[in-house]
Amino acid sequence: MRNRVMRSRLTTLFLLVGLAFTVPMLLSRLGGYHLPGNQQGYEPKQPLASSHRLHAGDLQISCLYCHGAAEKGRHAGFPASSLCMNCHKSVTAPLGAVRAEDELAKQENSPVKQIVSPELTKLYDSLGLDEKLQRDPKKTPASIPWIRVHNLPAFACFDHRAHVHAGVSCQHCHGPVETMETIRQVERLSMGWCVNCHRDVNQKGVHGKPVRASLDCAACHY
Amino acid sequence: MSEETANSYWKSLEECTADSEFLETASREFTEPIAVDPHGPSRRDFLALTGFALAGLTVAGCTPAPERQALPFVTQPEEIVPGRSLHYASTCQECSAGCGMLVKCRDGRPIKLEGNPEHAMSRGGLCAVGQASVLGLYDRLRVQRPLKDGRESTWREVDDDIRTQLDEIRRHGGAVRVLSGTILSPTLRDQIRRFLSRFADARHVVHDPLSASAILTAHERTHGIRLLPHYRLERAEVVVGFDADFLGTWISPVEFARAYQEGRSLDGNPPRCSWHAQFEGRLSVTGAKADERLRVLPGEMGILSHLASRLARRAGVSWDAPGLEDASIPGSVLDRVADRLWQARGRGLVLCGSQDVDQQLVCNFVNHLLGNYGATIDLEKPSLQKQGNDAEVERLVQELKDGRVAALLVLDSNPVYTLPGVQELTAALQRVPLLIDCSERFDETAAVAKYVCPRPHALASWNDAEPIRGLFSLAQPTFAPLGHERTILESLATWSGGGRSARQLIQEFWQANIFPQQTRENQFQRFWDQAVHDGVIETSIHEELPRSFAMDQIRPVIRSERPAEASFALALYPKVGLLDGRHAYNPWLQELPDPITKVAWDNYVCLSPTAANRLGIREGDVVRVEVGGASVELPAYLQPGQHDQLLAIPLGYGSKLSERFGNIGPNWLEARLTLNENGQVGINAAPLLILAGNSLQYQRLSARLTRTGRSHPLASTQTHQSISVPAHLAPAGEARRPMIQETTVAGLARGHRPEHPEPQADLWPNDHPVTGHRWGMVIDLNACNGCSACVVGCQVENNVPVVGKDEVRRQREMHWLRIDRYYSEEGRTSGDVDVAFQPMLCQHCGNAPCETVCPVLATVHSSEGLNQQVYNRCVGTRYCANNCPYKVRRFNWFAYSRDDALQNLVLNPDVTVRSRGVMEKCSFCIQRIQEAKLESRRLGLPLADGAVQTACQQSCPARAIHFGDLNDPNTEVSRLVRDGRRYQVLAELNAQPAVNYLKLVRNRPEGEVRGHG
Repeated sequence: MRNRVMRSRLTTLFLLVGLAFTVPMLLSRLGGYHLPGNQQGYEPKQPLASSHRLHAGDLQISCLYCHGAAEKGRHAGFPASSLCMNCHKSVTAPLGAVRAEDELAKQENSPVKQIVSPELTKLYDSLGLDEKLQRDPKKTPASIPWIRVHNLPAFACFDHRAHVHAGVSCQHCHGPVETMETIRQVERLSMGWCVNCHRDVNQKGVHGKPVRASLDCAACHY
Repeated sequence: MSEETANSYWKSLEECTADSEFLETASREFTEPIAVDPHGPSRRDFLALTGFALAGLTVAGCTPAPERQALPFVTQPEEIVPGRSLHYASTCQECSAGCGMLVKCRDGRPIKLEGNPEHAMSRGGLCAVGQASVLGLYDRLRVQRPLKDGRESTWREVDDDIRTQLDEIRRHGGAVRVLSGTILSPTLRDQIRRFLSRFADARHVVHDPLSASAILTAHERTHGIRLLPHYRLERAEVVVGFDADFLGTWISPVEFARAYQEGRSLDGNPPRCSWHAQFEGRLSVTGAKADERLRVLPGEMGILSHLASRLARRAGVSWDAPGLEDASIPGSVLDRVADRLWQARGRGLVLCGSQDVDQQLVCNFVNHLLGNYGATIDLEKPSLQKQGNDAEVERLVQELKDGRVAALLVLDSNPVYTLPGVQELTAALQRVPLLIDCSERFDETAAVAKYVCPRPHALASWNDAEPIRGLFSLAQPTFAPLGHERTILESLATWSGGGRSARQLIQEFWQANIFPQQTRENQFQRFWDQAVHDGVIETSIHEELPRSFAMDQIRPVIRSERPAEASFALALYPKVGLLDGRHAYNPWLQELPDPITKVAWDNYVCLSPTAANRLGIREGDVVRVEVGGASVELPAYLQPGQHDQLLAIPLGYGSKLSERFGNIGPNWLEARLTLNENGQVGINAAPLLILAGNSLQYQRLSARLTRTGRSHPLASTQTHQSISVPAHLAPAGEARRPMIQETTVAGLARGHRPEHPEPQADLWPNDHPVTGHRWGMVIDLNACNGCSACVVGCQVENNVPVVGKDEVRRQREMHWLRIDRYYSEEGRTSGDVDVAFQPMLCQHCGNAPCETVCPVLATVHSSEGLNQQVYNRCVGTRYCANNCPYKVRRFNWFAYSRDDALQNLVLNPDVTVRSRGVMEKCSFCIQRIQEAKLESRRLGLPLADGAVQTACQQSCPARAIHFGDLNDPNTEVSRLVRDGRRYQVLAELNAQPAVNYLKLVRNRPEGEVRGHG
């Protein structure tokens, strides 16, 4: 009898401890809960730590410099490695590291070595270049496997061209990219979110410019 | 209803005879019974399972999506913008017509082939076969490496072997033969000449499986030069065809269809319309368009001599035809045809498809009498589209049987399959010491060859072509070969000792031979770049001809061989989709219903319903056809309009290439195989051909037909999606609605305007005016000849799946666009029929009946008048399909196989691949509308008329389909809608379709118009 009481008390205790552990875990997850297919907040680690904060924010490079297809077609596109080389054939490491090397060379009175940052090495690898930026026959050029952040289902056809030419800013859908170290999905990108914007701009226009944003299903679904 | 309207068209014999089974099926809401198992799970179980599944799916759906990679280019090619298509000019090489085409490439891969509007011959048309050929590029079962004795080898080993053996043969003076089909490439012809010039005993034999050798031989005799004339149908006011299916499969159907249409454009007043009489035994696509169709047996072509003697009399030429037997056609009819021809001297054309040289000689004589040479028949710039010489083929077969050939190179030809006498030929070929087969796939000939030297797909190699003398076109690669193939040009160059690339060889040939013949450019590089860009150039090259006509060669064909009363004559013919069978690997073409019989995935024996009734044969009964020792067993097909003593069997089936279709179609419990007992699709009828008397004969004069007692259900789509209403359901007198409306040239000239149906009381308030664009289509039934290029074009553009034979039998074919073929017997002599083709697709109704019944609003109207189908909303109730009066909606019964990652490269990335349980239908190529709209917006230009071309419209050889904005009064479609010939199908339902049809026009006296009232 006593044993049984003890045993049930033990079980209760065990379950309570378990509950004490799981409830906070579940509660913390509850904030991030969203409906199936909604990837808001998705921020995968990219194969190459290229910073939008640095390029688009500090250096003020236009979005279309790297994603130029956005004004010509459906996809914005990812920059080819050759495009990166327009700058990175001379910029091979962050400024701080280059300055430090300059200092060190001056102190030691030795010739300045070219420093190649580990992240940019990945870029040069993709082009099949060695550390002196010469073609290395042992390396095979290969694309950098970027991870897509903004994914739409296959049955939705979004066209960048129409939005760029209507004057919609990139940040409107992609969030404050110029402040992000790695790209994160800020908006919901759900159909309701799209349609609400289309309804709004038909009333108010884009930056005051009147536009005709289609509300037909077949504007996106075909 | 208009006075001119015929209302007596029917689609199938079952419908014509009001077969009770057919009526029962047509009246049912769903064609198949819906399986409800009384012992299955109860409603409670169902709800429990649904609840569990929903909860489970919600939990599963909350996990992050799988990582999707995006791989950019390493080095950005200048011209490629992701998501945008590029078009390259090229040349179709799928048959010997050599039409011009544009290759639509997306992200570096070809996804769609379209006609090149700037090509002087094909003028923007491309047939079903040409359009389907893009699938062959992504075919896993191509031969990708050279084979030696059936095992994979390397080019080095194969080349060394071949060169050593060829040197040996050269030393001993052995016989070297090259066997090929018609070669349009002047560079390749030159290369073959060079290759053969190194041997003492060498010959190039050209074997066309669909031969026109007799025409060339006849011209050799009458004009002293072996050539195939270039027929100019657009100049002809009277066309008389003798067994020549020039709109379907004969010589250059795309070109002829356009030219024929031009001659019947109905422009001006009186309307321009040629008069066309067709003498034939089976019902061909061409016969279906004829104003006067006369049924004659293959052996009765003495009719041509009757015509000749009548014309000779009118011309005052003495031409004796003693002993000419009486024709089976009344003399008055022949007089009428002769009168028409005589009145249109120099503006008429007599075409003969016979393989009998004597017939062709008489045909030449008739054209000569009428002064058609130099007018509608061009000999100066002849056609090079058939160069076959059957006498040479016959000689080669004899040489092979005698073992006199030391080396045989088979270039892109499959004689084991296309020639009669398979066993003897195979045995003879096995005795050839050096047998090299250069082909794309492992076909019947490759199986006996010692060396197989694969060539790349036409879209992955350089090539050139000269279909008409002086008209040169180029084919450029748009894709790298997937394996280790090598072009025939390069292979021959390697074996001749000079290893250069195909591009170099072609460039050198063009620089030496074609560049000097033109005056447009004076620098070769610029000339070449322009030629590559345009895909085609015209030069002044032509033949010098003797002006004489050798009268003494003409002998009247007096014999009239008719089979005995109980037996039959036999005609073997190519089908529009499969031609000579080299495309049997292509599932799109296998599933394409034949324009006339509407059967897919099989061949059969066509016989007239009268003959079938007499013998007690029902459709699908397997019969044995025996002729001269050879026999085949095939299911019977009842073909209205066919001569009662004729059997007709399609060629191109029963090929080794079709053995791949074992797994095609959905895999489920009740699935039945697409393949026959022989492991192939259909049965090869080539053993019934005869290669004798210097020509390959497609017609046999005496065949025996016996029943086997077995039956084989055909996958025929003619009773599917029937628009007609069974009598017991229809309001009085409306059981057969006038789907097809027609008129005559005389009626048009009189300015007889049909009444449009009165606007009826409308249930719907007009509260959704379409103010911007309103997309609409006009289909000219007078132009449409049923060629089905649009059906395949739509299939490629819109990712329409292939379902396999069994599913077609179950009425589950997925084609968004079908061509309804109707027959009518009214006003015809017994057994003869009139035929009408009607492309039927979603009509994008203003008051769409489908939209009102969808419970989830998955099909709704757009602001531009389109009837949209939203796949992600659709839950698959199929209510819409049942409520659609036009029966144009298709349901995805399965997730049709998309397992082949290589083949998926052909999918159009602009169109969603639909999943199981979703309804789909024609979208008016909304992806093309969107692309054109967005592009015009990007460029800040208004959307021009013609900027949006639907896939079906773009490549229509006859220009039958027009698409555009109905709200703009200046567009082509708006102009055509105002045409007096315009009508809408089922207008009385007041669905207000956006698709309009233009009436069929027959060039007949008005008194002969049928179906009054």
